[in-house]
Amino acid sequence: MKWGQYVLGALIIAAIVHFAAIIAVPRVLMNVAMQRFGEDGDNVWHLAERITVASQKIVRSSPDFAYSACVYDLSNGPVVIAAAPWDEYWSLSLYGDNTDNFFVIDDREAHHGAEITLIKRGTPHPDGASMIVESPSTRGIALMRRLAPTASTYSAAADVAREDVCAAVVQPAN
Amino acid sequence: MLRRILAWTAAVIAGVVLGLCSAWAVLKFGGSSFTEHYGHWVFSRAAGSTGADPYTRAIIAREGLLALSAREAVYFSLYTDEHDRPLSESCVYELNGRPLDARWWSVTLYADDNYLARNTDSAHSIDATRAGNDAAWVARISPVRGDTTNWLSSREARRGFVIMLRVYNPQRDFHPSEAALPVLTTVSCAGDTP
Repeated sequence: MKWGQYVLGALIIAAIVHFAAIIAVPRVLMNVAMQRFGEDGDNVWHLAERITVASQKIVRSSPDFAYSACVYDLSNGPVVIAAAPWDEYWSLSLYGDNTDNFFVIDDREAHHGAEITLIKRGTPHPDGASMIVESPSTRGIALMRRLAPTASTYSAAADVAREDVCAAVVQPAN
Repeated sequence: MLRRILAWTAAVIAGVVLGLCSAWAVLKFGGSSFTEHYGHWVFSRAAGSTGADPYTRAIIAREGLLALSAREAVYFSLYTDEHDRPLSESCVYELNGRPLDARWWSVTLYADDNYLARNTDSAHSIDATRAGNDAAWVARISPVRGDTTNWLSSREARRGFVIMLRVYNPQRDFHPSEAALPVLTTVSCAGDTP
């Protein structure tokens, strides 16, 4: 009977550790990705090198895309994210810190590019912003994909990507 | 008293080990519980979804971090050949595809760690801009190029590999099915008797 309490205790601990690990995995992996993409700091685009064996930073990257990533941080207020248009397929997607893809817009919907104001869910909407998107988490990743399967198209996409914007909104002084 | 402390210590250690091992097992082998199968292609509509449950989210984070939601793109993975054998760099395969009801598609080869195989031949993928999406196409998956136009190199996969099909901007008419997706055929394997 005595051993029963130890076995029961071990099973309860196993269940807690199991669920904690399952819930932690996406956040841990997102944190690793945010560290890798955020080498230049938060709220700034990081243009990835053309995806090769040497340059790939996360699992299952596509060598056919020119990727840009911005680690956004809303702890000091909204962030403006703008995507310059590209002749081929492009999309801007936003991911919360639990990996959820909570927003995506592509060239079918925004042929001439896109500009969004990203705010933390539950905070006041800023005045004058044309498209406001609410993030479920304070930090996350904005990811641009531009179809560029060859070296020359990647080079052209990289030039366009330099026009993208990811920047904290300057708060008016009180 | 000391015996009790030792027993509880052992129970805690056993619980932690059991919890971590079971979580690892779920991540490693649990993908099949929420996936759909079309022939040998494995598909998860939950990738990137905000409605994904914690298990789905954890498995996809490990295998396909930063996946797009199904509205934008759908992803299919191929782990085995037509005989249910794991894909191997010691074999030559042929992949036959038809036009897909989508704007763009690509097929990419990843090593078993889900990163690009460490090839230096720049033959990691083929896509609709090169193979076309208005007629049937064929690609060869092999360690050496040979005379094929569309080649996916498995040269440095080393411990097996996975083939991933990306379908971007799927049309409303796009319904995954065994008949619609590319068909893999084993041409030969090293050691096969001629």
